[in-house]
Amino acid sequence: MNKTASAVIIGGGISGCAIAYNLAKKGMKDIVILEKEYLCSGATGRCGAGIRMQWGTEMNCKLAKYSVEFFETANEVLEYEYDIGFKQGGYLIIAATEKEVTQFKKNVALQNSLGIPSKFITPLEAKEIVPHMDETKIIGATFNPKDGHLDPFHTTQAYANAAKRLGVEIMTYTEVTGIKVENGKIKGVQTDKGFISTPVVVNAAGGHSQQIGEMVGINLPIFSERHQILVTEAVEPMQGPMFMSFSQNIYCQQTPHGSFIMGRGDPNEPRDLRVTSGWEFLEEMAKTCIKFLPPLKDLRMVRQWSGLYNISPDRQPIYGTVKDAEGFYLACGYSGHGFMFGPVTGVVMAETILGETPTIPIHMLGIDRFEKGELLLEPSVV
Amino acid sequence: MLKSTGIATNKDLETVIPAKERLLKGPVAVIECFEKIPCNPCYTSCKRGAIKEFADINDRPELDVDKCNGCGVCISNCPGLAIFVVDEAYSETEALIKLPYEFFPLPDEGAFVTGLDRAGKPVCRAKVIKIQNGKAQDRTPVVSLAVPKEFSMEVRSMSLEDYYSDNTIICRCEEITLGEIREYIRKGYQTVDEIKRISRAGMGPCQGRTCGPLIMEEIARATGQNVADLKVPTYRPPTVPIKLGQLVGGEKNE
Repeated sequence: MNKTASAVIIGGGISGCAIAYNLAKKGMKDIVILEKEYLCSGATGRCGAGIRMQWGTEMNCKLAKYSVEFFETANEVLEYEYDIGFKQGGYLIIAATEKEVTQFKKNVALQNSLGIPSKFITPLEAKEIVPHMDETKIIGATFNPKDGHLDPFHTTQAYANAAKRLGVEIMTYTEVTGIKVENGKIKGVQTDKGFISTPVVVNAAGGHSQQIGEMVGINLPIFSERHQILVTEAVEPMQGPMFMSFSQNIYCQQTPHGSFIMGRGDPNEPRDLRVTSGWEFLEEMAKTCIKFLPPLKDLRMVRQWSGLYNISPDRQPIYGTVKDAEGFYLACGYSGHGFMFGPVTGVVMAETILGETPTIPIHMLGIDRFEKGELLLEPSVV
Repeated sequence: MLKSTGIATNKDLETVIPAKERLLKGPVAVIECFEKIPCNPCYTSCKRGAIKEFADINDRPELDVDKCNGCGVCISNCPGLAIFVVDEAYSETEALIKLPYEFFPLPDEGAFVTGLDRAGKPVCRAKVIKIQNGKAQDRTPVVSLAVPKEFSMEVRSMSLEDYYSDNTIICRCEEITLGEIREYIRKGYQTVDEIKRISRAGMGPCQGRTCGPLIMEEIARATGQNVADLKVPTYRPPTVPIKLGQLVGGEKNE
C-alpha cells in the first residue's frame, strides 16, 4: 500500500481524531490518521476521564473552558449515535496546606475573571457537597459545578465517526516506522504497511510523541511516565464531584456508571514507556483515599491499569510548528490533560495547519518557549 | 476415545460421512453407528435397499449412498438414535439436518433453538423447519433443523434455549446482549479489547471471565476466523475484587 495524503496525523486518540475532524470540516481532503493499535488504545483510553476548568494559568483555563463548552453540545455537533456521557458533577479541589489556600484564592480570582464559575469554600461547605468526606483533614476547597466526567472511548469514537463521514481515513493497527524529511521539508511517512507521501505530519502520538519527534531529528523537551489508576465495583450514586488534591496527590470520582475511579502520581516514577501495574500504587492509593473519604474502604476495586503522561517542562501543551522541519506539527506534552483539551486541540491545530488565526492565541504554547525561557508553570496538576 | 467418552472422533466419522459430491446432491443418511452389536432395524426399515443386507447381524450397517434418497425412515427405527439425514443442498447458506429427538416438550415449527454438537456443546443457532411425530415415527420424533452449512456435520442434537438469540446476555456484570456485541462487530470493532472499551463488556466485577471467551467465539463466527488466531484480551489485576480497606492492611476481604 503506497499512497498520497494532504495530511497524516499520527495517533488515534482524542487529539488525532479531533484534529482530523476539524481539518476535514474546514474542507481539507485526503486526511489519514495512523494508529499503532486501535482508537483510544493509548493515553486517551487510559485516562481518568475527568474534565475541569479550574486551572492556575490563564492559558489552561481558556483551553479547558473552550473544551467544556464543546463537550456540552458534542453529541449534537458530532451527530453521535450513542452518548459521550458528559456528567457535570463538578470538581472539589481541596486545600490541605496554607500555601494551597493562597494559591487557590489566586486561581479562583483568575478563573472568575475568565467566566469560570468556581468559588473558594470552607471545609463545612465542602462536606455539604461530598457528605462522606472527612472535612477535618482539609482547611478549604474550591468548587466548580461545571467540571465533570466524560467517556473517553465514546468521545473519541464520536470524533472518529464524524471525521470518517467527512472522508478521513483511519488506519488502525498501522505503525509509523519513519518520517521522510528532505531539505527541511516533510515528504512522507513510512509505516509497516507502506509509504504515504504527504507534506503535513501531525505528531499527536501522546506518550510516544518523543519517539515520533526523533524520527524527524527533533529532541522534544518532553518525557513520558507511567501514571496508575484503579476502578471499583459500581455502587449507587453517592459522590457528585471529582474529589481532588494536588498536595495530597489524589483524584477520585464516581463515574455516571457508578464505579469509583481514582489515581495518583508517583514522584519516583522512572521516565519510560511502561504501562504495567504495581501493588505499591494500590496501597498508597487506598491509604490516601480512605484518609479523606473513609466510607470508600468498603468498596471493592475490580481493576487497575496505567497510562502515559506526556510531560512538558511547564505542564502545558505544546502546539504548533517546528523550526527545522516544515510541515511537521506538534500536539503533545499535555502533561496528563490531553483528553480534556481534545476539542480545543482539534480547533487550534486545524487553524494553525491551514494558516488561519487560531480561535485561542496559542503562539505562547509553541516549542520555542522553552528556548526563550518563557515558561508559565501550571501549579495545579496531580 | 469413543469407548471412554461416547463421542465419535473425526477418525470414526471419516468412515461414515458420505463423499462431498453425494452430500451436495441432496439429502442422504449419515449412520453414526460404530459399535458391533446384534441389531439391524435400519436394514429392515429401508424400503429402497440402500442399507445393505447384513451377512452377520453383529455387522455395522453399510449404506449405498446412491440408493439412499434421505427419506429418513431409518432415523426413528434406529434404537441407538445413531442415524441422521443431512441435506447440504437445502439452500445457499444452510443445510437441513433431520435428527431423532426423544425429549419433551417438542419445539414449535419455526422456532429458533440451539444446535448442539455430539458432546452437547452449543455450536450455532438453528431453526426448526419440521417435526415428524406420526405413527411411523413410533414415539421417536424426527426434527428437521436448518443450520449454517459449516455446521452440517457438527450439529447432532438441540437445546430449546435460543442461546444465539440477539437477546442473550453475554456480559452479565454489565448486561450486554449478544445483539449489541454483534452490532459492534458489524461496525468494525475487531478485538475483545476494542469491544470492551466501547461497550463496557468485561469491565464489571468478574472482569470478563464469562464474556471474554464468548465474545471471542462471536468474533470468530462473524469474521470466519479461528478463535485460536484471535488476539487474546488484556487481563488486568486483581484476580478477584478486593476491598480498598484490605489494601491498607488490617481488614479481611470476606
